[in-house]
Amino acid sequence: MGRPKTVSRLMPFGLGIGIALTLSATLASIALAQRPAAKVAPPAPSRAAAECLACHDDSTLKLTLPSGEALSLYVSADVLHASVHGELGIECQSCHPQLTGYPHPAIPFATRRELSRSYYQACERCHPDNYSMTQDSMHAQVAAAGNLDAPICTDCHGAHNVQPPDKPRTHVSQTCGQCHTSIFGAYSKSVHGSALLRDDNPDVPVCTDCHGVHNIQDPRTALFRIDSPEMCAGCHANRELMGRYGLSADVYSLYSLSWHGVDVSVYKANWPTIWHDRAVCTDCHGVHEVLPTTDPGSKVNQANLLTTCRQCHPDAGPNWTGAWTGHYQVSLQRTPFVFYTQAFYESFAPFVLWMSGVYVLLQILRATVARIRRSLR
Amino acid sequence: MSLADRSSPANVAHGMRTERTFLRFTFSQRWEHALLILSFAVLLLTGLPQKYRLAAWSQQLLASPERLTLLRTIHHIAAIVLTAEVLYHLGKGLSALARRRLSSAIFPTWQDVRDAAQMIRYLVFLSPRQPSFRKFSFEQKFTYWFFFFGIGIMVVTGFIIWFPILFTRLFPGGIIPAAKMAHSTEAIVAAIFLLIWHFYHVHLQRLNLSIFTGWLNEHDMRRHHALEYQRLTGEPAEASPAGEDD
Repeated sequence: MGRPKTVSRLMPFGLGIGIALTLSATLASIALAQRPAAKVAPPAPSRAAAECLACHDDSTLKLTLPSGEALSLYVSADVLHASVHGELGIECQSCHPQLTGYPHPAIPFATRRELSRSYYQACERCHPDNYSMTQDSMHAQVAAAGNLDAPICTDCHGAHNVQPPDKPRTHVSQTCGQCHTSIFGAYSKSVHGSALLRDDNPDVPVCTDCHGVHNIQDPRTALFRIDSPEMCAGCHANRELMGRYGLSADVYSLYSLSWHGVDVSVYKANWPTIWHDRAVCTDCHGVHEVLPTTDPGSKVNQANLLTTCRQCHPDAGPNWTGAWTGHYQVSLQRTPFVFYTQAFYESFAPFVLWMSGVYVLLQILRATVARIRRSLR
Repeated sequence: MSLADRSSPANVAHGMRTERTFLRFTFSQRWEHALLILSFAVLLLTGLPQKYRLAAWSQQLLASPERLTLLRTIHHIAAIVLTAEVLYHLGKGLSALARRRLSSAIFPTWQDVRDAAQMIRYLVFLSPRQPSFRKFSFEQKFTYWFFFFGIGIMVVTGFIIWFPILFTRLFPGGIIPAAKMAHSTEAIVAAIFLLIWHFYHVHLQRLNLSIFTGWLNEHDMRRHHALEYQRLTGEPAEASPAGEDD
């Protein structure tokens, strides 16, 4: 049960929980590595599957649908047995309950897509949670609006060849990239995507870490926007994870105290569905194309910072970027004006307030003594 | 400070007790103080919810984005009133200076340091006598100058964070976050100082309403401003010395 269990364990992890995903992926790969090779070999196919494959393991087997499309009826025994379902010995009829015997009933579908959109509903029988989550997703809404190309289970997971979706992890983003080609192109060049595709880096987010897995929502809503800084913080406020790459884990906490961040927190707490134009992480750093700040192509690289600020502050002059403390703690080198202001108030304010407090207390005490003495006289 | 004998000759003739009062603040000074109280209170009340945006009480008050806009508008209007008052105050001072008529009464002198030292000796029972003061005691001068510079900081930093783009055309960008920090911190320091220091001295220690009425009575003059009393009347204030044997 090792593999499917790992897969289903991964499913509930949605938005922003990159760490958990990373951890389980790492554990899973360790677990897989420790499995003896013999166990990976496919078990003997069930008798029913053998019966079906007697006809269907034939690459020339096909029929023509009313639309004129050719429908291949070929099921490769090797591919089926290597799939997660094949390994478990799942019967063909588990997914094809309508095919009860031979001769098979006539296929009532005009097109291949119609057939796929009907057959995939069988997934619900064993995977009801993930199936119902997809019905609440952006993809299901698009399909309901009439776009039948919106993905169904088998478009992402495959059918007879179904494999663990994150082995390797790059596969997750590549799967989304099959349709979202331009976004995948931008992501591939980003600090996250390039590390994933180059090194199979287990720490960087794949598409589903930010967008969720089965119940993927529209990322263009006010709600997604207001939640997005916390999503980035899921990894970027993790000291251990950021430490591996020499990055500061204070960026989110310092952002939260900034003008932008406070406004965003208030909107999040009170009016999460009202659209706001206060800067969130992606407004300045970019979304899929996010690059290291040291990269000359980064929107927040010193060379491009003013242009980025001017997205919202069009009249800003060249000194404007100096107002930006850049998610850094107050320091003499980086923010001398703030440093001296803070130093002044850290010494002056307590001094004056304590001094006046003590002085007034002494006055009260002295006046009380004077009054008592007068009344005793 | 001018002496005004409000007792009528008839009363003197009948041997009645006369109550002399002394003009302490001019009409325009009293109005300045009233404007200061009003604008300071409005600025504090509309500023605190902005400083503590993440607190529950602030979010209850600012229940919608429109309310936040309204609160900021009120804050800005009060800021303009305060700025006008500050400019009037400075303008009056400068014009008096140009005419060589500026009173030196409010400016600190070495005598204030000696008075403060004497007062501390009195407070810690090292001396039985309080110092005698002229028109303004060192406490009152300290209050004035604390708020003079405090309000100066608030006005300058307030305009910087109100018009950050304008100010960064003239000054380095680093002043913006510094101004924000100073504005936010100075406001709290000034408010606490006001509560501890000013409220104690004018409400609890004794109720001193001269900034509203303009007048100080003879008793208070002799007791709290003995040197000024002496200067104005030519009489010694000893009848009511400002010691504990009052």
